[in-house]
Amino acid sequence: MKILGVSAHYHDSAAALVVDGVPVCAVQEERLSRRKNDAAFPLSAIEWCLDRGRLEPDDLDAVVFYERPMLKFDRILTCALRAFPRSWRSFPQAMKSSLGEKVWVRGVISSHLGVPAAKILFTRHHQSHAAAAFLTAPTRRAAILTTDGVGEWATLSVGHGARRDDGSVAITQLREIRYPHSLGMLYSTFTAFLGFAVNEDEYKVMGLAGYGQPTMVDKVRRLIRPAPDGAFELDLDYFEYHTTAARSYSARFVDLFGPSRNPYEPIDLETSDGRRWADCAASVQRVLEDTLVGLARSLRAETGLSDLCLGGGVALNGVANARILAESGFDRLFVPSAPGDAGCALGAALYADRVHFGNPDREVPDHPFWGPEVDDSELSRVASEDGQLVDRVDEAALVEGIADDLASGRVVGWMDGALELGPRALGHRSILASAASTAMRDRLNRDIKFRDEFRPFAPVVPLEAADRYFELPPGGMRLARFMSGVFTVRPEWRAQLGAITHVDGTARLQALDREMSPRLYALLEAYGRRTGVPVLLNTSFNLSGEPIVNRAVEGYSTFLRCGIDVLVAGNTRVTKKTRPQVSSSTEASTFVGSGS
Amino acid sequence: MRSARPLVRPTRFDRLLAPLHRWIWSDARRRVQKLISFGETETDGGRDILRAAEITSDPLLRRLYLVHAIDELRHGALFRQRAASLMPTLRSSSAPTFRADWLARGGHGADDLDVDDESDDTMLAFLHLSEKAAASRFTVYRDVLKGDAPTCAVFNEILHDETFHMNYTLVQLARVSPQHHKRRLWRARLSRLWKAYLRVAVALAGLIGGLLLIVQYFVLLPPFAWMAKRALRREPRGWAPIPVEGRDAMKRQY
Repeated sequence: MKILGVSAHYHDSAAALVVDGVPVCAVQEERLSRRKNDAAFPLSAIEWCLDRGRLEPDDLDAVVFYERPMLKFDRILTCALRAFPRSWRSFPQAMKSSLGEKVWVRGVISSHLGVPAAKILFTRHHQSHAAAAFLTAPTRRAAILTTDGVGEWATLSVGHGARRDDGSVAITQLREIRYPHSLGMLYSTFTAFLGFAVNEDEYKVMGLAGYGQPTMVDKVRRLIRPAPDGAFELDLDYFEYHTTAARSYSARFVDLFGPSRNPYEPIDLETSDGRRWADCAASVQRVLEDTLVGLARSLRAETGLSDLCLGGGVALNGVANARILAESGFDRLFVPSAPGDAGCALGAALYADRVHFGNPDREVPDHPFWGPEVDDSELSRVASEDGQLVDRVDEAALVEGIADDLASGRVVGWMDGALELGPRALGHRSILASAASTAMRDRLNRDIKFRDEFRPFAPVVPLEAADRYFELPPGGMRLARFMSGVFTVRPEWRAQLGAITHVDGTARLQALDREMSPRLYALLEAYGRRTGVPVLLNTSFNLSGEPIVNRAVEGYSTFLRCGIDVLVAGNTRVTKKTRPQVSSSTEASTFVGSGS
Repeated sequence: MRSARPLVRPTRFDRLLAPLHRWIWSDARRRVQKLISFGETETDGGRDILRAAEITSDPLLRRLYLVHAIDELRHGALFRQRAASLMPTLRSSSAPTFRADWLARGGHGADDLDVDDESDDTMLAFLHLSEKAAASRFTVYRDVLKGDAPTCAVFNEILHDETFHMNYTLVQLARVSPQHHKRRLWRARLSRLWKAYLRVAVALAGLIGGLLLIVQYFVLLPPFAWMAKRALRREPRGWAPIPVEGRDAMKRQY
């Protein structure tokens, strides 16, 4: 059975193909269109998936959309009605946005792919999150907690999943918390208040939290309070996201927390405003963690299960994940590589296969590499044409050479195999560097990533060595598989791991399994032989504001625009010789003319 | 060597609009907003050109596009930095919201070019005209900003680059399409005109549609709003049960 999953229209659209119960491929539209968080209908992603599966649209048994568009429209319209007459400004915008394309998903899919409408199915948004979390996790039975900004109406759901002995699968969602009461929206409101981009920069709030003290927890608790039945509810007087599209927090919110940060002003932690913003971030982070831990603890008590699958955009919060693992009573916590909406494309397809069509469960490969493969001949061609130093070497020599580069302080753009699904670079489209010094962190922020100096970098370490450098609780290895947890760097190693140790002594580490990425594993070993510490800084291969690179030529253009010293794609290695330098004065036209 | 002043002569249309531009730029808040908006446009344009560099099969064009993209991204940063340095002079610390560029952007980000589907000659013709238009307008901006030397300097610096961009795109267009480059330029001019018309039409339709929806909002919605608010009061707090659905549930959109 061939099933295509699609997520689109809000943020991070994607497509995934499942054939005979096993994922074949999945890719986010942004990686192909090169527009970060591309929310457009993912036509390029769908075409690539069908090409990869060597299928025509007619061959598909079903196309599954990751949510129910009319139910979502119901929520948008109902909220506009409830906020009458304050919603008069946002109403036209909401209607135009929804009625343009978003509610006609069946027709859009049918017209783009030419598949009959009867083949188009819909899951609920949190059903897709739950399926993406549970059906990709190597567990037989698990509790499931999904939480994000909002789906149709649900913002958080709890339930459980089971793989039965007869091969059938059950995913049971027990109950949900509904919009406008939302943990994701609470966090996003602070994201906006702190001058960051909503639905994109929430991780910056988490990073900033490390610099602050949770001195405003009591104030944040005025915004979110426990409901009598163990759920939570927001005091909506502090918010405006449910009534207007212009601003997510109200004047009362500003009265409580002070003026918001102007997005164009840098954060200076030496100033009182800078400290206030860091404290705000630390406080909302603490409240988010406490709330999630409380919910997870209740779910553990209710289900008696030892595994928890976590899905939804909030599951990208590695600090909260680590606390859930440590304090909720669950032994293992599974977070997929793409817990946000992009992963819903895969979740929706798997849900349709296992639950709607009732197909027997199949083991899903436990890796995030579902995207296009890198073509090293492409890199070789373009770099040679530009007169760069290009070497094609065998794998062993390449790994040893790159280990030498890293040990001598060079920064390496690393492209290997298939692209990751999800926001983390997990070793196939990464920028690698020595993790030893804070100078390297500063260099990467300043010359390569062009981003705020408070942003931390993540480490990658062989699975077997992780416990030596990081304080991992039981189950921590699993959480670190896809870089989903933030853990403490052992104090005795912090001086030697300055580039990846955050100001609060933590790091969002990836514990690398040899089978998952053998070449990077070999590189870590080779680097460890040289330096004695097999830990590398691993950050996504992109520049600020751009999606992670996909093709070799995209890696090459990124390599030329920043301070990366060496670029690797497959067995091809390029050492930076020159950057394209053309003066913008009159002699430029001479250069142009001479090249023609 | 850099000349002191790039030799770009504004079009008659831009010269005619100089008093309007002078008025727009005279206010600090509008100035900041314009700079922010230009920053976004230049950055978007830079990404489009970067994309063109990544997909072209012509090595020389790839190098030139890359240089061009780096310039555009740097222009975006220059505009943002200048806006940020002006912000403390504003009375309120909140980000300004005025936008005076909804029809006439400074660069080419608003022209909605589908880079992946364009041939090199179409891309070059489009870029040449965009750069020329931007240079013409930036020259007017620089001239009306004489009293603000740092902002004027930003435009001056960018104008140098725009002159280079105008030149190289024209030279390369003649190289890649020696027989038809003039025709390409005319087609690009017509395309820009058509897109400008579409932008006006879409903006107008949006305005009319918005007004109609606001009328409907106040005429038709009040009774439904009353019912929705009444229903809200009866809605239970906390957890909501998720009903078990039948086998056909996935066929529904609601």
